[in-house]
Amino acid sequence: MSDEVTVTEAAYQGPAADLGLAFVAADFALTGFHWRVAAQPAELPGLAERFRRARYSLEMQTAEDRRPDLGVLRLVTTFARFAVVGDRAGVDRHMVVVDLEPGATAPSLCGHYPAANWMEREIFDMFGVHFTGHPDLKRILLPDDSDFHALLKDFGRMDGTGTEHGASAEAAHGD
Amino acid sequence: MVTEPTPPPDGDTYFLNMGPQHPSMHGVLRLLLELRGEQIVSAEPIIGYAHRAHEKMAENRNYLMFLPNTSRIDYLSGMIYNFAWCEAMERMNGIEVPERALYIRTIAAELNRISSHLLWFGTFLLDLGGVTPFLYCFDDREAILDLLDTVTGSRLTYCYGRFGGVTMDVDATFVAGTHAFLARLRDRLPDYKRLVRDNPIFRERCEGVGAIGPEVAFDYGVTGPCLRAAGVAYDVRRAEPYCIYDRFEFDIPTASNGDSLDRFDVRVREIEESARIIDQALAGLPEGPIMPAKPKKRFKPAAGELYYAVESARGHFGTYVVSDGSETPVRVKLRTPSFSNLSSMPEVLRDTMIADTIAIVGSVDVVMPEIDR
Repeated sequence: MSDEVTVTEAAYQGPAADLGLAFVAADFALTGFHWRVAAQPAELPGLAERFRRARYSLEMQTAEDRRPDLGVLRLVTTFARFAVVGDRAGVDRHMVVVDLEPGATAPSLCGHYPAANWMEREIFDMFGVHFTGHPDLKRILLPDDSDFHALLKDFGRMDGTGTEHGASAEAAHGD
Repeated sequence: MVTEPTPPPDGDTYFLNMGPQHPSMHGVLRLLLELRGEQIVSAEPIIGYAHRAHEKMAENRNYLMFLPNTSRIDYLSGMIYNFAWCEAMERMNGIEVPERALYIRTIAAELNRISSHLLWFGTFLLDLGGVTPFLYCFDDREAILDLLDTVTGSRLTYCYGRFGGVTMDVDATFVAGTHAFLARLRDRLPDYKRLVRDNPIFRERCEGVGAIGPEVAFDYGVTGPCLRAAGVAYDVRRAEPYCIYDRFEFDIPTASNGDSLDRFDVRVREIEESARIIDQALAGLPEGPIMPAKPKKRFKPAAGELYYAVESARGHFGTYVVSDGSETPVRVKLRTPSFSNLSSMPEVLRDTMIADTIAIVGSVDVVMPEIDR
């Protein structure tokens, strides 16, 4: 959010510190995560490997269609670890943001976290993003014979307006 | 003594579709099972039959208009999802919630958690062939639905929260009714133990069946009672306390084997812990308003991202909201616990017997509308 504090790379001591990425501290009370980092697609597997080694769970993978304002499809991944020390518990959540050029592919995290299997299928289903290395990339929520990706902004609105295509099958995008 | 059926030779497998209209399958879940004899070689859950495009709807309406959607995500613990959206919005908009409303939310959410666990208890036993407990559990659950009906006006798909508080105040009748219900529930729990937990047939069906170990849970992001049954004391209410959960004393029940019986035990003990929380919240319920003095009418959160996690009856429910400063979200992602819990099934069901499938899937407590969204 607006009151994020940019810190030097040296200040970040988390599990992915050796990657030299610019982690930005976030105000957990306002954002629900502690660290945010913008990474390149190719850097995702390295991040996943380090987070897995440090026992962070792959909590969520999703995407945003930011083509209208930023010209990219944004992949958002959160890694979180919770620790219990005596009666006290705490969580540490990292948010990794990867911007993809429309039509670009992303590396799959299935090899690091089996949880990625279904979450990446959902991103493929809803946004048409292809994940290289995914063992079984196919639709998960929408019908198998769909020819659209429903969470793309140009698919249209629920009421069928908001696009020149309407909610018709011609709004197909991606693959 | 039942003799083990002789499996056909290797390679001789067949496929069986269980669901989406199987009478014992929970909601519209379809399991594509590859079987060798009665043994499961591979299992693939096929989902999406109850997809209603909640996330798409969220992008098509303003923040307030999405509120009624939230309790339809998981219709069995809708109150918790409804409050999660309110709390996420309060955080994004910097809205202060009056103390009394926070206590009321805690009471309502924990009552909803008990009713969700009771429904699971009854239907799980029904899956296993025990019809009687179902009637008792639904009788108890009915008392909760009646209580919540008096303050929310709904019995299932509650829309009790508002950005800044709750819609209606609780009165002395509700407080007395909740006390009476808890007393009755505590009276019933020993009966349930005698009727169900001590029943050798029930134990045979559950003990050692469908174990989800801590490693599998970690791999697939399994949370909630399924994770705690594997011995991991993770509960969002403790790990990142939201609402006012840091003010109450409660234990996080865990078990060690992660099998169906452990999941059963954990949920039953969670009912007791929720009752403890409600007791404390009723005792501490302050007087005062239930909404801010001047509630906002339009909500335009500053541009940014928010991840807001709560502990639903099924595990870690995360709401991810992206705002561009307008009245409509850019993106809302609902990270639902049942989705991740079910995604572990191919691993968990492999090499089990088909007769145990219902016991295993039932004990995980999946809610299909929550998975499909």
